[in-house]
Amino acid sequence: MRNPDRLQGTLELLILKSLDRGANHGFGIALHVSTVSDGLLEVEEGSLYPALHRLEKERLVKGEWRVTENGRKARFYALTAAGRKRLAEAQDSWTSVAKGVRKLLRFA
Amino acid sequence: MTAPWKWLRRRRLRESEWRDELDTHLAMREEWNRARGLPAGAARLAARRQFGNRLRTLEEVRAVHLRGWLEDLLQDARMAVRGFRRSPAMTAAAVATIAIGVGASAAIFGVVDPLLFRGLPYPNPRQLVSLGYLGPVDSNEFSVVSSYLDWRQRQTAFQAMTSMRPESGCDLVAGEMPLRLACQSVEANFLRTLGLAPALGRDFTPQDDQPHAPPVALLSYALWQSRYGGDARVLGRSVTVDERPVEVVGVLPKGFEMPQLGQADLMMPERLDSSQPRGANSSAFLRTFARLREGVSIEQARLLMRPLFQETAQLDVPKELRSEGRLVVRSLRDRQIQDVKLASWMLFGAVLALLLLVCANVANLLLARTAARRRELAVRAAIGAGRGRLARQVLTESLVLALAGGLAGCGIAWALVRTLVAVAPDGLLRAGRTGMDGRVLLFALAASLGAALLFGMAPALERPRAEALAGARVAGIARTLFRRLLVAAQVAISLVLLTGASLFLRSFRNLASQPLGFRTERVVTASFTLRQLRYRPQQAQSAAFRELEARLQAIPGGGWFALSDSIPPRGAMGRPYSNLRLAEHPPVEADGGIVYFRWVTPGYFRALGIPIVAGRGFEEGERASGDSPVILSATLGRRLFGDESPVGQRIALDGDARWCPIVGVAANTRNNGLTETHPEYYRLRMDGRAPPRDAVALFRTSMAPSGLARWIRAGVAEVDPALPVTIETMEDRLGRFREQPRFLAALVALFAAFGLLLAAVGLYGVLSFLVAQRTQEIGVRMAMGARPRDIAMLVGGYAAMWTGIGVAAGTAGSLALARVAKGLLSGVAPADPRPLLAAIAVLALTAAVAAWAPSRRAARVDPMVALRYE
Repeated sequence: MRNPDRLQGTLELLILKSLDRGANHGFGIALHVSTVSDGLLEVEEGSLYPALHRLEKERLVKGEWRVTENGRKARFYALTAAGRKRLAEAQDSWTSVAKGVRKLLRFA
Repeated sequence: MTAPWKWLRRRRLRESEWRDELDTHLAMREEWNRARGLPAGAARLAARRQFGNRLRTLEEVRAVHLRGWLEDLLQDARMAVRGFRRSPAMTAAAVATIAIGVGASAAIFGVVDPLLFRGLPYPNPRQLVSLGYLGPVDSNEFSVVSSYLDWRQRQTAFQAMTSMRPESGCDLVAGEMPLRLACQSVEANFLRTLGLAPALGRDFTPQDDQPHAPPVALLSYALWQSRYGGDARVLGRSVTVDERPVEVVGVLPKGFEMPQLGQADLMMPERLDSSQPRGANSSAFLRTFARLREGVSIEQARLLMRPLFQETAQLDVPKELRSEGRLVVRSLRDRQIQDVKLASWMLFGAVLALLLLVCANVANLLLARTAARRRELAVRAAIGAGRGRLARQVLTESLVLALAGGLAGCGIAWALVRTLVAVAPDGLLRAGRTGMDGRVLLFALAASLGAALLFGMAPALERPRAEALAGARVAGIARTLFRRLLVAAQVAISLVLLTGASLFLRSFRNLASQPLGFRTERVVTASFTLRQLRYRPQQAQSAAFRELEARLQAIPGGGWFALSDSIPPRGAMGRPYSNLRLAEHPPVEADGGIVYFRWVTPGYFRALGIPIVAGRGFEEGERASGDSPVILSATLGRRLFGDESPVGQRIALDGDARWCPIVGVAANTRNNGLTETHPEYYRLRMDGRAPPRDAVALFRTSMAPSGLARWIRAGVAEVDPALPVTIETMEDRLGRFREQPRFLAALVALFAAFGLLLAAVGLYGVLSFLVAQRTQEIGVRMAMGARPRDIAMLVGGYAAMWTGIGVAAGTAGSLALARVAKGLLSGVAPADPRPLLAAIAVLALTAAVAAWAPSRRAARVDPMVALRYE
């Protein structure tokens, strides 16, 4: 994601969506995004963190230190109720925007 | 108290947590890359590349949190403003109180800053010292040429040493009007030692400073601007100074300050002559300054100079004075501010006291407000606002208040500084360097913020309690105790201020009503100085004086006339007491200090109304005779002769071999300022003997001073049209002596009035609060049969108790103050209880007035209403 500013909303949507499956740490989220999108959405991994902290400050996700299966300490993020709600809204609006854009592209 | 520390520690913890999180990510990615077959080094590099800039990421994370913090702050500030709008009266009171406190303290800071704190206008000013002998002759250290030449040659403590001759006037002829200027004769390295260079042209060279070198001069920047329009072509011009042609070689830097704070219009080389015999050089006085060598302290310099000093003192200082003289090496700042140091600290202390009063008052206001808002805060706590968040809210409120007050305070400070500079007597403020500048504004800001912290702390530390939710009135013993302590502290501080004011006012009244020993009303003085060259031959000078005397005496309606070289209450020349010798008497004691004397005409005693208490005054006929008669002051007569009558005795003056007859004894006058009387004698101005060139003509007349002034100028012009004359009434002259004490008294009185007002408001606030809080209890008491009087007594008792505690503390402070301020007070004994008692009385009265309304309110409580109150 080369332009985090313009696509900030997109990045947040990706994070929220990947947390929908369950709590995960930043690396897990990065991995998930790149595998699920077949490498189409290549995220510069560092840029995840400001976004994660922003989401946490808005109480959309909740972070906590936990131990991974490999015995490593990592910060796990989980969706809060508000986060779940936001995800639903964002998904809806994204789908409608995408639909609109697709129509526009076809028309032009 | 620990809240800020906790906050800081938590912040640091969070920082390291963020870092850990990013590092974990890198480690996990590296592990992942390795698991996919990359060698260790490549795995790490790839991990880094995939992550992007780690530092920037950390920066962005930090920004996320900081932005949140700033948003909170803005939100708090908005809420604070909204809250203040709801209680405009309380807000206005708090802002006005802060404005007064910050304004007054910033203004006084502006005044004392150049004196006490700011660096002197020279590079590395801490290295500059003033040094020399300190004896009873002068309040500042001095040196003599012969000693100085030895010091300069043999000292090891200083990188440079420089000297100047005592300040003297000179006449510059430029165009029509002769100009009387302040001339400074300095050593060639004077400016260089101070670390300065001329603004234009060149500095003096050692050649300029040779005894017979062609005369050169530096002009002051102001003179260059006013006389020569700032024209650079003045360099190389020849001007006439004291009737000698002098070449202008340079212009002093703008804003140049002499190290002894004298005025310098013109600066010329002093031209010490080491070829003169020691005896001649040891009677020429100098002021000496030096720049310490790197790493040498003043104390070390003193030790290094001591042996040299003792050696030269043996040679140059008269035996009689040696035991009273001592070496002084002190910083230039100490030399400059010696007279006003105490006064400055005093003012600054008064202002800080006022600022503390302001803080206490605003803290009280805020506490009362918090008490009223307890329920709101409890609700906010219940719905999840952390304690820290609430405390921050309260602190933000105080910050908003303080900044608003501080802003208004800057306006007040600006007005005050201008007023102070306008009305302050010469010499108390550093003219031209006192004003509103960045430092004063910074001080105002610091004072506001400091005050905000002080008065915001109390309500911020309050813990919202769950009980408050239920609306129960939590007594909060500790809290009300704190408020009452605040009131006691206010009372104490304002008592100290009041005592100070009382002391200064008393001292000033003493000064104003001090009998001086001479008449001041309807006395007009005209001062002038005969120029050196034109009247160099003694006869010519003496003749010029006789002629001036004749013209001035002939002024119609001029009244009683006299001519002297100086007039009280200061200005007489001093000589060691031990220089006096009495015929047919044992020698006088050695360490007798200083005796003053003046050269006067016979009319002197009559013109100033000084009674002759024994013998007779001088007579006109004596002036042509051979022996030079003397009149002693009563103090000197008693000291020299005890119970014996001085009249008819003979005395030798000033180491002179000639015997002079004592013809009379005059009453004492104040001759060393307004309060002191030193022994003094008078000599008759004799024909053919040249008195000093400085002269003061005295007229005691019913003529209007302005009319007389015209006559005086005309008379002087007939003798010497180029002679500048200063004419003023005796009252004006004396006014200058009274200015500084009057100024101090007025300022301290102003602060005391402010302080008293603040203390009264504080007491009133606390009592009102107590009454409101205990309405229910009062209702119960009244229902049980207490009379309104008892209730009023109850409230009054509280007021009395806390005022009493404050008075006790304040008394201790006041006594300490009186001791410290002793040097500034005249005719007031520090142990004198009257100023303190007066202050206590004023304070008690004020407290009673402040307590009256709340206790009446308490006494009027209706038990039925009170019991249903909740």
